[in-house]
Amino acid sequence: MTTVMERPDSLNGPAIEQMPRRPWSKRPAKFWLATAIAVVVPIAVVGLIYSADVIPPAILLTVIYFPLQLVAAGLAALATKGKHGILDSCIIVLAIGATALSAIVLGSMLFTIIARGIEAFRPSFIFQNSVYISPSTPLDYGGIGHAIIGTFLIVGIAVIISVPLGIATAVYVTEVRGKAVPYVRFFVQAMSGVPSVVAGLFVLTVFILTGVLRQSALAGAIAYAILMLPTVARTAEEVLRLVPEELRTGALALGSTRARVVSKVVIPAAKTGIITAILLGVARVVGETAPLLLTALKNDQTVVNPISDPISALPTYIFDNVAQPYPDAVTRAWGAALALMILVAILFTVTRYLGGRKRSA
Amino acid sequence: MATDTPLRDLSGGKRAHRGDRVFNRTITGAAFTSLVVLAGITIFLGAQTIPVLQDQGLSFLTTTVWDTTGVPPEYGIAGMLYGSLLLAVIALVIAVPVSLFLAVFMVFLAPAKLSKILTNLIDLMAAIPSVIIGLWAFYVLVPPAEEWQQLLNQYLGWIPLFANDSGNFSGTPFMAGLVLAIMMIPIVTSITAEVLKRTPPELINAAESLGCSMWTMLRYVALPFGRGGIVGGIMLGLGRALGETIAVFFVLKIVFDINFFNILESGGGSVATLIVSKFGETNGEFEVQVLLAAGFFLFLGTLLVNALANLIVRRTERLRS
Repeated sequence: MTTVMERPDSLNGPAIEQMPRRPWSKRPAKFWLATAIAVVVPIAVVGLIYSADVIPPAILLTVIYFPLQLVAAGLAALATKGKHGILDSCIIVLAIGATALSAIVLGSMLFTIIARGIEAFRPSFIFQNSVYISPSTPLDYGGIGHAIIGTFLIVGIAVIISVPLGIATAVYVTEVRGKAVPYVRFFVQAMSGVPSVVAGLFVLTVFILTGVLRQSALAGAIAYAILMLPTVARTAEEVLRLVPEELRTGALALGSTRARVVSKVVIPAAKTGIITAILLGVARVVGETAPLLLTALKNDQTVVNPISDPISALPTYIFDNVAQPYPDAVTRAWGAALALMILVAILFTVTRYLGGRKRSA
Repeated sequence: MATDTPLRDLSGGKRAHRGDRVFNRTITGAAFTSLVVLAGITIFLGAQTIPVLQDQGLSFLTTTVWDTTGVPPEYGIAGMLYGSLLLAVIALVIAVPVSLFLAVFMVFLAPAKLSKILTNLIDLMAAIPSVIIGLWAFYVLVPPAEEWQQLLNQYLGWIPLFANDSGNFSGTPFMAGLVLAIMMIPIVTSITAEVLKRTPPELINAAESLGCSMWTMLRYVALPFGRGGIVGGIMLGLGRALGETIAVFFVLKIVFDINFFNILESGGGSVATLIVSKFGETNGEFEVQVLLAAGFFLFLGTLLVNALANLIVRRTERLRS
C-alpha cells in the first residue's frame, strides 16, 4: 500500500503541530549560547591546569572544577534569566554531577567485572570443581562448577520452601481476607528488614547448634528462604490484587468452592506475575554471602546431597578468593563474580520483560 | 487501582463449604510464617543472649574489651555498636545528597527516554550482590580512595574529624562509609524518584506557569509533597547499611576500641561484620553465644529502624489522603 492518508489542510498548519504544550519552557537562542559558554569555559580552564600537571586530579576536580562550574552556570543563569535563575542553575549542575558520579561508579563496576572476569572464563573454569586446587594453581585447572551447582541447589531448595509460603501469605491477604490482614502485612514488612547475617544466625541456633542439621545446602536454603519470603509475598500480593474482582465473583456464582476459585481462576490469571514474584525473590538472595558463611560453609568438592556435607556457592567462592595473595586466585574471584553477575542480569532482564508485558497488556 | 479500597471478606465465614474451611485454615496458618520466623529469631537469639548477659553483665554492651583468652574471658561490643552507627551516618551524609540530586535529575530534568534508562540502571545497581561490590571496592575503589583520604587529611587535617596521626589510611570508617553509600544510593534514589514522580503534574505546571523557578517548585511543591516517602526511603537505606556485612568486611579494619570521630584513622567497628569475621575462629560454645548475642542486638536495631521507616511512610500517606 502506497497510499498515504492525507489530512485536511486545516489540521496540518503550524497552529496545532507546533503549539508548545508548555509555553514557558521555550528557550531563546541567548540561553543556549550562555549554556554553551558555561559548559565549555570551566572544562577548558581545568583542562589547561591539568595539562600543566601541578595539582592532583582529585583536588583539581573537587576544589577547582566543581566551584568553577557552579559559578559559570550561575553567571550564565544571571545573564539569561536574572537573579532567580542562579539557584536553578546550581541544582542543574549538582543533579548532572550526581548522575555522572553514579554512572561512573556503576560503569566502573560493570567494566571491571567483565574485563577481569573474562580472563578466568574458559570451559574448565565453568565445569570443573576445585578439588586439589590451591590458591596458587594456574587458571587452566579447576573452576567454579561445584559453586554453580551449589548455588542452584541452595536457591532451588529455598524456592521450594519459600514460594508456597509466600504465595499463601499473598492469598491470605487478597483472597481469604481474614481479620489479621493488617498484622500479616506488618509482619511481612518487618521480616523484609531482617539483615541477612541475622537470618544465618537464626538457622545456626535453631538447626545447627541443636544438631538437627549439619552445615549443608539445606541449612543455607532455609536461611535463603527466610530472606526470600517477604519479597515473594509482597510481589505476589501486588499481582493478585490486579486480578479483576469479577473473575472471583463470577466463579463463585457458578458454584465453585473458594479453594477452586483461587487454584483454578485467580492464580492462573496472575501466572506471569507470580513467576515475576518468584524470580524477584531469587534475585534478592542469589548473591547473599553472609548467611552461607554461617550455615553452608565451603567445600572444594562437588556436592549434590543437600544434607550431608558443607557446600560452596558462587558468593562464598568469591568471598574465599578475594583477599588471596595470589593473582590467579583473585582472577578466579573475578571470574566467579562475572558468572554470578550473568545470573543476576538474566533474572533482572526476565523480570523486566515479564513486568513490562504485564503492564502493557 | 483497587489497592486502597477495603476488600470484602470472601472467606464465607462459618457457612463456608467444608473443604473451604480447611483451605482457609491452611492459608491462614501459612500466612503467619513471617510472625513465626520473627518470633523465632527473637526467642532463640534472645535465649542465647541471656547467658552472655548473665556472664558479662551490662559491660557486654558498654565496654570495648575483647579478651578471648583471659580468665575469665571478657567481651564488650560497645565499639561495634557505635561503629555501626558511625558507618551508617557517614554513608547517609554521602548518599543522601547524591541520591536526591540524582532523583531530581531523573524526574524533572532528563528527557523521558534517558530517565527510563537511568531507572533501569539504578535498579541494576541495586541488584549487584554485596560480595561483588566488596570485591570491586577492594581492588578498584580502595587505591584511589586512600589517596583522596590522604589529600583530605593534608588540607583539612586541622579539623579533628579528618585527623590522622598514624599515616595509615587503609581500613578506615570513611572508606567503609563510602562503600555503604554506594550501596545505599540505588535504594534511596529509586524510592525518592518514585515519590517525586507522583507529584501531581497540575501542581508543577501551575507553579511553573506562575513563574516559579525550579528551585521554588522543588522547595514548595515537590519536596513537601514527597517528604514522607523520601524520609522513609532514607530510613530503609539506613536499615540496609546497618545490616550490611560482606562489603564492609573487605574495606574496614575491625578494632574493638571505640573510634569516636577520627573517620580517616585506620580501624572501626560494625556488629554485622564482627559476626562473620569472628565466626571462623570461635573457640567453644560460649564464644558462638557471644556472636549470637551481638546478632540479637543488631536484629533489634534494624527492626527499630525499619519500623520507624514504615511508620513515617504510613503516617504521611494518611495525612495526604
